Amino acid sequence: MKQSVSKKKNIVHFLLIFLICIITFVYLIPLFFIVHTSFKPWVHIRDYPPKILFKPTITSYIRIFTSRTPLPPGRAFSEEEVFNMKWYERLIYKDTNEEIVRKGDFPRRYLNSIIVVIGSTLTTIIIGTLAAYGFSRGKLKGKDDWLFFILTTRMLPPVVVVIPVFLMFRALNLTDTHIGLILLYTAFNVSFAVWVMKGFIDEIPIEYEEAAMVDGYTRFQVFRKIVVPQATTGIAATSVFCFIYAWNEYAFAFILSRKYAQTVPAWLPYQMGVLGYDWGAAAGGTFLFLLPAMIFTIILRKHLVRGITFGAIRK
Amino acid sequence: MSSRLKENQGSDMEAHYHSMSDKTLMRLFILPTLVLLISINVFPLFWSLFLSFTKYTAKMTNIWGKNPEMIGIANYARVLTDPEMWVKFITTAKYVIMSVAGEMILGFGFALLLQTKFKGRGFITTLLILPMTMSPVIVGLRWRLFYEPNWGMFNFLLGLGRIDWISDPSRNLYSIVIADVWMWTPFVMLLSLAGLSAVPKYLYEAAEIDRASWWFKFTRITLPMVYPILMLALIFRTIEAFKIFDLPMGITGRGAMAPPLLSMHLYNVSFVTWNTSFGSSIGYIMLIMVLAITLIFVKYLNKAKQ
Amino acid sequence: MKKIFFWSILVLLSLSVAAGVLFAGSGEKPPEEQFITIHWAQWAPADYLEKLSEGFTVETGIKVIVEQTPWETFVQKYNTEMIARSDAWDIIVGDSQDIGNMAVNGHYVELTDWIKKHKVDKTFTPASLTYFAEYPKGSGKYFAVPCEGDALAWAYRMDLFEDPDNKADFKAQFGYELGVPKSWDMLKDIAEFFHDPDNGFYGVAIYGDNGYDSLAMFAEQVIWSFGGELGDYSTYKVDGLLNSKGAIAGIEYYQELFQFTPPGFGDAFFVKCNDTYTAGIVPMTCNYLAFFPALANEATCPYARDTGYFACPPQKGTDGKVRQFAALGGQGASVITYSKKQDLAFKWLEWFIKPDTQMEWALLGGYTCHAETLASDEFLNATPYNPAFKKSMEIFKDWWACPEYDVLLRTFSETIADYVIGDKGTAEEALDKCTQQWESVFKEAGYY
Repeated sequence: MKQSVSKKKNIVHFLLIFLICIITFVYLIPLFFIVHTSFKPWVHIRDYPPKILFKPTITSYIRIFTSRTPLPPGRAFSEEEVFNMKWYERLIYKDTNEEIVRKGDFPRRYLNSIIVVIGSTLTTIIIGTLAAYGFSRGKLKGKDDWLFFILTTRMLPPVVVVIPVFLMFRALNLTDTHIGLILLYTAFNVSFAVWVMKGFIDEIPIEYEEAAMVDGYTRFQVFRKIVVPQATTGIAATSVFCFIYAWNEYAFAFILSRKYAQTVPAWLPYQMGVLGYDWGAAAGGTFLFLLPAMIFTIILRKHLVRGITFGAIRK
Repeated sequence: MSSRLKENQGSDMEAHYHSMSDKTLMRLFILPTLVLLISINVFPLFWSLFLSFTKYTAKMTNIWGKNPEMIGIANYARVLTDPEMWVKFITTAKYVIMSVAGEMILGFGFALLLQTKFKGRGFITTLLILPMTMSPVIVGLRWRLFYEPNWGMFNFLLGLGRIDWISDPSRNLYSIVIADVWMWTPFVMLLSLAGLSAVPKYLYEAAEIDRASWWFKFTRITLPMVYPILMLALIFRTIEAFKIFDLPMGITGRGAMAPPLLSMHLYNVSFVTWNTSFGSSIGYIMLIMVLAITLIFVKYLNKAKQ
Repeated sequence: MKKIFFWSILVLLSLSVAAGVLFAGSGEKPPEEQFITIHWAQWAPADYLEKLSEGFTVETGIKVIVEQTPWETFVQKYNTEMIARSDAWDIIVGDSQDIGNMAVNGHYVELTDWIKKHKVDKTFTPASLTYFAEYPKGSGKYFAVPCEGDALAWAYRMDLFEDPDNKADFKAQFGYELGVPKSWDMLKDIAEFFHDPDNGFYGVAIYGDNGYDSLAMFAEQVIWSFGGELGDYSTYKVDGLLNSKGAIAGIEYYQELFQFTPPGFGDAFFVKCNDTYTAGIVPMTCNYLAFFPALANEATCPYARDTGYFACPPQKGTDGKVRQFAALGGQGASVITYSKKQDLAFKWLEWFIKPDTQMEWALLGGYTCHAETLASDEFLNATPYNPAFKKSMEIFKDWWACPEYDVLLRTFSETIADYVIGDKGTAEEALDKCTQQWESVFKEAGYY
């Protein structure tokens, strides 16, 4: 009797695991096809029924890194010219009959993304931690109201804020500058940082600080030498969230940047090649762009819940 | 809980400080954040509040009295009386309800499934949360290719034939909902997992002794315990879904065949036809709605904390 | 109250400090060498222009950078920059319908005297000057130099059109020979003939997207061809023109033709038309001529060798008169008011309008509006689509160019799309609604 119950339980257990694996597999299909498309040769992308198996090629990745122009009809390179080409030039020429005219914009946009993300994350962490400390330890009147106010700024729909911000940036010459985007992302992340960091700092026993103050430490010294070292986990968790937000942000970047400070999300969707939509290159770019966020997610896994609940859930 | 204690100790510390009162110092700590928020978020909002009572286009040169020109509440009257604006409100509401409902059901379901103990559970969880950390506009773009009726994978894998998921107005709202659910179900799942793991084991053990049914355990123990966190997820997702902009931009673009969602319309009004003042008034109405939901959100945020 | 005062003082102070710092940091990288920046959309002609300008650099030592912005955001970006009075560019090769907005708001330098001095009004085709350069139309005031002439034209699969079986079947079904369409009616018959959704083949690939101007451009050419008008460009009268019989017939035609497109064409623009054609599921497609190099590229289009091109066909209108029109695309080059290097920009323009340069421009793949070049055999034989281009340049016509064109475009696109793509209401209702909205736009703008 007992044995059969446990046997039944085992089967249920096994079935559940099987179900979970199936769900995960189905769930990841769209992700799989990003990588899949990026290795598809140009001519097969529009095949119907879609080809699942094909000889993979890296020309999509060459295309995302270069700017090309198709040869005018009736013109071709001589064999000698083809022989003298660099390997990637030859690949592109053979694949799509295009000539590489210059380096593509992708590396530059990627760099912009990195600059804006690092700049805004650093600023957010610095001023956010300061403010969180102020809110945690200070006994300020209307503290909760201020905290609520700070939270609401995070909830504003970007499309609503972007009109006045656009006008303001225009007046201040801040459109299409790294500083402009950094300020903007900082302003949107700082509310989040304050809420999460306040939770972490609340957990640090106040006794250490007290003792230090008795020893003659100033507030700033207390903050730097006692609070910050104990809040490193919180800082790490917060900064990865700031990173993900700024890395993925689209509405502001799309409207407020054009070239010099344009980030990848504002740029990548509009890269349709001259020869028709370059799905392969777009997929390649997407894959390269998603990679950092995915890696950070995997590293951050344990802090994810705390972050997305604005510090409400401690687990 | 210990805040009263803290405050007492705080006053002790204050005595230590001679040059600047501790309170002022604390204010200085908060100052940079507030300055930034006021200059980047609040000040522009007041500006657009002003603009929403005027007739103004950012495309032309500013001439006071003419551009902007005060017209009172005409913009708001237009937003609230135009039947086409109501279509936009209703579509947005439909979108929010469908996507949030899908996410809640699937997310909570996944979380319940993942209560099963097995090797590699952490790994599977990590795989499942990948979509929510991606850029929505890029995800939208990928789904656009996925949905493409003539050579996309979506119809092919489901064996549907060449169904148009992108530009058919009767269907493309659902295609955005599907992508949104795909992207944000992990969010609900993650919160639910946290909530479920916080349910004390002894409650289940006690129920086990009483030979309570699975359904009894679920409705009497699990649900009430996870309820605050589920509400948190629900409200947060509602706010986010209400603001949705990136994902439809990626999937359908902003053409007139695209679903008439509020933020897309706002973008078209403000940056395509450059009716800045009318856009501001739509924006303000959206803002008030979001703030109202946020207020409820904070209530549950504090509840979940306890 | 005191506290609020304290806060606001602090906020103001920090704001002004921040602004000061930012202003100081905003002017960056002084260039070593002389260069000008031309802003254009991201497509092959912009690459050709950059290549062409290498000749200018050799001659003068001035480098030319052609900055390309994706089509979807091109117009929005230059509008945004112009409002901000940006000196990021010296020349914009901007859309023809935007010229009124740019001229009225003073973003473009007036070129009337320059054009007369350099006889551009004599050497370039008159129609191109009217549509690409003049504002208000008929005033003789110019703000641009025609750079890239362009119009909607057609590409078709010669192998399918000349297939004997197809020919025989077509004759049996419609009673006349299958061939290059001689009228819009015939074009629709051909689309109907080839339309075979069960086997994954469709009749035609035409625009359906109304995010910017693609739907409106296709709609306007059928409106004109069937005898309608968009309105009177000088008196701004719309009623009786836009909702006339001819216009209604045109829009109805568009709706009927649209039934023969592949699924998912409600958001089709130039890329999708090209994609569908290269995927081999349509026998013909309508697109701007500047996008045809992709169809003639053998490496990416399997049907490149079998592709022929023709200009928009004539049509007998509702009043019995035969008309032939094509929607104008293309752009004129204008000097930016806020540019700090206008002298260099003018130098480039002077070089650009030389007959030799224009010929080279044409041979590289650019679409010249230079009358002599257009007529030369050398140009006509350069590519398979150049003859269709020459014909199109004789029949093109443009959209409204007044500063309100974007509102007009948006309302037109929305109302027409409801009928053509969404199958809602009738053509008459759609056009009546659009007429009303346009008249209120014009009234508000103070034209009458």
